[in-house]
Amino acid sequence: MRKTTSFLIFLLILLWGSTACGKVYIDINSPAFQKFPVAIPEFKNIGKPGTEKNYPAWFADQLSRTLKITGFFKLISKDAFLENQDNTNLTAEEIDFSNWSSIGSDFLIKGGFSYDGSRLSVEFRLFDTIEGKLVTGKKYWGKPDEKKIMVLRFADEILMALTGKAGVFDTKIAFIGKKGNSSEVYTVNFDGSDLDRITDFNSLTLLPHWSPDGSEISFTSYKNGNPDCYIINPAKRKTRRISSFSGLNLLTSWSSNGKQALIVLSRDGNEEIYIKYLRSGKLQRLTRAHAIDVSPAWSPDGQKIAFVSNRSGSPQIFIMDSEGKKTKRLTFEGYYNSSPCWSPDGTRIAYAGSSNGQFQIFTIGENGDKLMQLTFEAGGGESPSWSPDGRYLVFSSKKNGQGRICVINSNGLSLRVLPGINGVKTYQSPSWSRHLNLY
Amino acid sequence: MRRNLISVVLVLICSFALVCLAGCPSGQAVKSDSELTTQDQLAAEEATALAEETAREQALLEELLAEADSFNNIHFAFDKYDLNLESRNVLGLLAEWLQEHTDFNVTIEGHCDDRGTIAYNLALGERRADAAKAYLVNLGVTGGKIATISYGEELPVDPRNTPAAWAKNRRDHFIVFPQKQ
Repeated sequence: MRKTTSFLIFLLILLWGSTACGKVYIDINSPAFQKFPVAIPEFKNIGKPGTEKNYPAWFADQLSRTLKITGFFKLISKDAFLENQDNTNLTAEEIDFSNWSSIGSDFLIKGGFSYDGSRLSVEFRLFDTIEGKLVTGKKYWGKPDEKKIMVLRFADEILMALTGKAGVFDTKIAFIGKKGNSSEVYTVNFDGSDLDRITDFNSLTLLPHWSPDGSEISFTSYKNGNPDCYIINPAKRKTRRISSFSGLNLLTSWSSNGKQALIVLSRDGNEEIYIKYLRSGKLQRLTRAHAIDVSPAWSPDGQKIAFVSNRSGSPQIFIMDSEGKKTKRLTFEGYYNSSPCWSPDGTRIAYAGSSNGQFQIFTIGENGDKLMQLTFEAGGGESPSWSPDGRYLVFSSKKNGQGRICVINSNGLSLRVLPGINGVKTYQSPSWSRHLNLY
Repeated sequence: MRRNLISVVLVLICSFALVCLAGCPSGQAVKSDSELTTQDQLAAEEATALAEETAREQALLEELLAEADSFNNIHFAFDKYDLNLESRNVLGLLAEWLQEHTDFNVTIEGHCDDRGTIAYNLALGERRADAAKAYLVNLGVTGGKIATISYGEELPVDPRNTPAAWAKNRRDHFIVFPQKQ
């Protein structure tokens, strides 16, 4: 009898547990995804009167901007708000949700703050206005100059609650900025803040790639009169040259453990792909065709390598194993396909494919299925790189002949352009870092 | 009395000789004005001759450098590195010139238009430079005098987005230069 009771109780717990964990998230990667409409009224001062500074508008604006760049949210305009803005109703019991659902705002964010002169405390609440209840709420304390971090943390909570994954606000994009005949490596946060110039060689610089742990960036530079390969550690301000054979030295992919890299060298007579062991410097040759073999990209599990070869007449993407064997052609559509980049989950490869005389960004399954064109821009698209959560691609596109850095959701929606830098005329070759724990 | 006179005359002669010797500059005796002019003239003529020689050599070098600079870019079809007839003509002239002026070397730069991806174009530019080098070597130019480098699509001569501009950018460019002394 006891055994049956315990077994029943056990079953009950299991059932309850499974229904509680069985939340189904809207598939934000589906091309049919509709953005979450959300309203963010000004935050309220719940502390001493007169201490609010510019915080009411600042928090609402900053959170709006942050959610907007994720590409998953549609911000409802302030002009449409029905609710009296003098109310300090921050909890579900106090809010009349019909004021919000009636203007098409399925979601509502309310916030309150209190500043005592040294410490700022901020409450954020996300409501579902259709169900009329709180989805998630958080309270943060800190110094006033940590207020942006508070906003980013809550944005992560919102994304986690609605999409199952936090955001990529703590990632950076490295890219090349060109002025005249010289170009340098720059990095910028995903939201366009903290632009930094990383190199200062006053010569041609190409193909930046983040190391897997985000501490280093590899690139090719002509500063010594030949395209040699270097690795820079920006925090330590140290640069080392890792490959300087005559001809090309192009590093285009790091192994997941950061210990090896795929490099293209022409020292053996024509452009071939090698594995370079970064500590010992040892080289292992992978390709032996007379054709041009370039742009190798390791799969996340290290078992396969995608690369570009013109061995079948024009540049196409092939896949070989990590020994350089079992080479198979991947792309058959279009006469020129290049710049392969493996998605973080290893199922898809993004690349630049020819379409109507220029390049656009495509993705294809690693078995050659599910071919999908992502961009249809007048300026085309080249050099795609995935975000570490696989939800976005960064790529370069041309406008008036000059390159710009663009971000698109991996379902092809929400294209946006990163802002420009004074004096830099053209941008190319973006590379997306992993999560960097910036806040 | 006589002895004294002879001594005096001797002393006088010696003194005179001494004075003469002391009063003269070492070695040469300046004989006359006309000789002075001739010496200077010779030196001046030598200097002029030297200056003229240098100027001639300089002019020759400049002429050679101008010739070296005169080899036109050769061009390629899209995604190709084959040498067409015009390219082979230019390379033939260059080979001849290099074999005649053996103290000059050449660097061949390979370039592409900006269609196509950056890494692939670096390789294609290299193929274009290597194709020209191989042709020169076949014609008898010593391989050691020829360096190659690829710039891919990074340094166009015409930045416009037109087929005419692209055709100009798909090129090998020759830098002919005197070897360092």
